[in-house]
Amino acid sequence: MKSRIAPVAITVAAVMMALAGCSGGSGDSGGGSDQVTLQFESWRPEDAAIWNSKIIPVFEKDNPGIKVQFAPTKATEYDAALKTRLQGGTAGDLITCRSGALNRENIEAGFIEPLKGFTGLSNFDDLSLSYWASTNGDPYCVPVASVMAAFFYNKDIFTELNLSVPKTNAEYMSVLQAIKSNGKYVPLAFGATPGDAWVLAYMGLYSEGPNYWHGEEGRQGLIDGSKKFTDPEFVQALAALKSWTPFMPDGRASVTYSDATQLFALGKAAIFPSGSWDISAVTGSTGLDVGVFAPPLPKAGDQLYVQSHPDMGIGINAASQHKKEAQVFLNWVASPAFQTIYANALPGFFGMGKEPAKLDNPLAQAWADLKVGAELTPRVEDILSGGNPDFETTIENSLQLMMTTDKSPEAVADETQKGLENWYKPQMK
Amino acid sequence: MRVRTSNSIHNAATKYRYLMLFTLPALIFYVVFAVYPLFATFVISLFQTTNGDGSFIGLDNYVYLFTDPTQSGHFWHALLNNLEFFAIHLIVQLPIGLLLAALITSDAVRRLTGFYRTILFIPATLSVVIVGFIWRMIISPLWGIIGFPLLGTEATALPTLSLMSIWQWIGIPMIFLYTALIAIPKDILEAARVDGASGMRTFWAIKFPLIRPQFGLITILTFIWTMNGFDLIYSLMGGAPGPNYSTDILGTFFFRTFFGFNNVVGDTDYGAAVATVIFLFILISTAGYFFVLQRRLKPHEL
Amino acid sequence: MSQVSVSRRQATRTAPDESREARRRRRMSPSVFLVHGVLIFFVVMALGPILMTIMNSLKTQQGIFSGPFQLPTATTFSIDGYLRVTQLGDFGTLYFNSATVTIVTTGLTVGLATIAAFAIVEYKIKLAPVLSGFFIIGIMLPVRLGTVSLLQMMSSWNLVNTTLALILVYTGMSLPLGVALMVTYFRSVPQELKDAARIDGAGEVQTLSIVTPMVRPGLGAVAALTMLPIWNDLWFPLILAPGRSTQTVTLGVQQFMGQYDSDWPALLAALTLGTIPLILLFLIFSKQFIKGLSEGYGK
Repeated sequence: MKSRIAPVAITVAAVMMALAGCSGGSGDSGGGSDQVTLQFESWRPEDAAIWNSKIIPVFEKDNPGIKVQFAPTKATEYDAALKTRLQGGTAGDLITCRSGALNRENIEAGFIEPLKGFTGLSNFDDLSLSYWASTNGDPYCVPVASVMAAFFYNKDIFTELNLSVPKTNAEYMSVLQAIKSNGKYVPLAFGATPGDAWVLAYMGLYSEGPNYWHGEEGRQGLIDGSKKFTDPEFVQALAALKSWTPFMPDGRASVTYSDATQLFALGKAAIFPSGSWDISAVTGSTGLDVGVFAPPLPKAGDQLYVQSHPDMGIGINAASQHKKEAQVFLNWVASPAFQTIYANALPGFFGMGKEPAKLDNPLAQAWADLKVGAELTPRVEDILSGGNPDFETTIENSLQLMMTTDKSPEAVADETQKGLENWYKPQMK
Repeated sequence: MRVRTSNSIHNAATKYRYLMLFTLPALIFYVVFAVYPLFATFVISLFQTTNGDGSFIGLDNYVYLFTDPTQSGHFWHALLNNLEFFAIHLIVQLPIGLLLAALITSDAVRRLTGFYRTILFIPATLSVVIVGFIWRMIISPLWGIIGFPLLGTEATALPTLSLMSIWQWIGIPMIFLYTALIAIPKDILEAARVDGASGMRTFWAIKFPLIRPQFGLITILTFIWTMNGFDLIYSLMGGAPGPNYSTDILGTFFFRTFFGFNNVVGDTDYGAAVATVIFLFILISTAGYFFVLQRRLKPHEL
Repeated sequence: MSQVSVSRRQATRTAPDESREARRRRRMSPSVFLVHGVLIFFVVMALGPILMTIMNSLKTQQGIFSGPFQLPTATTFSIDGYLRVTQLGDFGTLYFNSATVTIVTTGLTVGLATIAAFAIVEYKIKLAPVLSGFFIIGIMLPVRLGTVSLLQMMSSWNLVNTTLALILVYTGMSLPLGVALMVTYFRSVPQELKDAARIDGAGEVQTLSIVTPMVRPGLGAVAALTMLPIWNDLWFPLILAPGRSTQTVTLGVQQFMGQYDSDWPALLAALTLGTIPLILLFLIFSKQFIKGLSEGYGK
């Protein structure tokens, strides 16, 4: 049989190519003559429904002629994809900005529009603005949300086992021991798998640690070189984290963050060290009665330090064709009206404006209440991030080994400090 | 019988014309959309960009890669891991692929050949998200059937990932060997059967030698694919795959340096140098393999 | 040649003589059970996890984690995942885009690679191995590296957010392997056949079409290998064609993968739905090119 496949295939291919070239076309700023559509980059696809149903319609109603299209990219691909798009000139008009070094790189490369003189910024204090500023301190993104780290707990399990909310580390340890002895529940929904080692840092060390290294005192000390990671307060923080291991699930080296969340959401674990963003994950359809308590104090009467980390800002693409409209949107984002809608639509993401938003969700309010009387501190990285060897990957790697093998807290402190000294000038003395 | 190996109907000029004519379409696509962008990016490796301005620094990025203790440590470690990843793939995939190809072409399996062939190939059609999710679930100490944390323990993480990857791609060597097996002319096999040879004997004496050239092809492709491998490990273990970098292979090392990871900023120039080094390594290894074993690769003309 | 003809004559003479009894005995022999047994084991290994995925896509999120190996029960059964997927609204478009990109690229790759490989094997001048080597190097290239350059190229041609951009890029990247593979398959085509065709007056293109049926398994292999990485690729659609109207299935599915946790029922549902067309495509292509080879080509 003579094969005509090759020529046929090519003909079919050519026809489809012609069709393909017609389909698609650029998806932005279509529509009517006066209508502008802003493309909005984000790393949270799970928020799409909320943005599209609760938040964007409010803006569009007040601003006919401007449409906003929420176009998220999977979180693990966001940074790489955004950078590629910025370099290739196809990034959206509105950009969700990471806080810290990653965003600063985009700022220094000229990809983000400066916001100097932007009136909406008066709603924020300087500290908040600084997280999204250039090295000169000029603002580039409007602060949108900060998140906190603390400990969710299952109220029903606590009642069942006659436990009270722990305040000090000693109380915390005895609560964990009581749950473990009872045997019915896993004390800590907390995994130590390498793929999620960041959990050990963000919701582990940087959550309970500030109580030991006194928040900003310790963090700034590391940054300006006056403190070393091998100082006693940091080692104590590491040791405290390591003391959690007997209470983690069996096979903790393969327990992922998703596993831990599910474990708690199914009612099988009593305590879930996590971040405020998980409020929706542990309540709602789970039917659980969930509370939150602050990181345990080393001793009764110590000052409480709670992690409050600036997470999200929104900025304008310097190459955008619709900067005017984008600024209108940003203006609205900077307003207390937006903050209230946002904080209530996405409980656990707290606004950073001077006026705190009123929260409907009681659990979110409970989280916000943790800040009362506490000193706030963001996660340790930021300035320390990057470098060679990279601070973040080094410490996460070491933490993962500390929690799954017999690596000691002192060894972790040593490695981290040595890593810093290799490249971070203030620590190289 | 002498087999004429050259086409003596055309002269050299005509041959040249036809060769160019026939390869031109493929060449155009290949050069414009694959060679040029990659070459342009390789060139970037000779620069260093600070704050958006690039400056030519020659081979400094390469020197940095090989002399800086952290970077070269990561590189060689990733290379060794990658070789282990490759070795496990080869040792497990080739025999099993051969076994499967042999079985589905055996006399015992007549009408079900298509069924088996398709089913066994289906894992290759899955996205890494499914493969990762379902196998991770199966071996999870919490939800699955294995209590020991395989992916979280330094000694077992890479082999486990290798086996997951092998499970997914077993269809490929199977298809290669299968196409080679069905290309064997039926005459020869009929003759053997008439002569009274059993299935096993026919296989080892006749089929195996005729498909052996495929082994070289499969080995090379497995090598190249594992050296460029990335998706499954990145999806399961992130950009700095552990535990303790034990699952860090060249692909993840490159991704980390070029695009960055978590809060770490990537360096496109240095990353391009890393990619160039990886490419050269693959090129030299493959060329070496060809030169050393070229004789055995010529397929038997029938 | 004569030796083979004799055996063939002998074979055709003997085969019908094998009694029905002998044939039946052969079919029921213990080796048959063994062969099928081993194959069934591998089939279970291959299908088991996939069936698990489908099973879990029909459960609630809690249902998945409280009993991943169990069939959906009355309390855990839920088609919410599938509902959320269809609520995306444009799953049909996702399918169409993925299918267009995959089929066109595969068609182009197979076609162009066949033509090029034929020439490389046939015209034995010095340039041929150079071209061959040039293509082979392409298999080793790290594809993601050239992304920015490609994006800028597509941008300047106004091809961003078109499926055409994806087709062009994927074809360029699949051709090296396609050419290399087809070269190996063309090498086993006997020279006499081509020369005989030419003596009969066939031009080059006609010679090619005469020879092509002999390399059908190669066409199938190249098609299969080209299709798979394209359908499941996330990166290039993400960068070159992320717009709503040009999203592929893989890109659409990432909607369900959150920063911290995923909507597992919807994700599994989307992945299940997303894989079915690829399996169908593979079935069609493999049937096309591999079927009919039982006739062999020793004629």
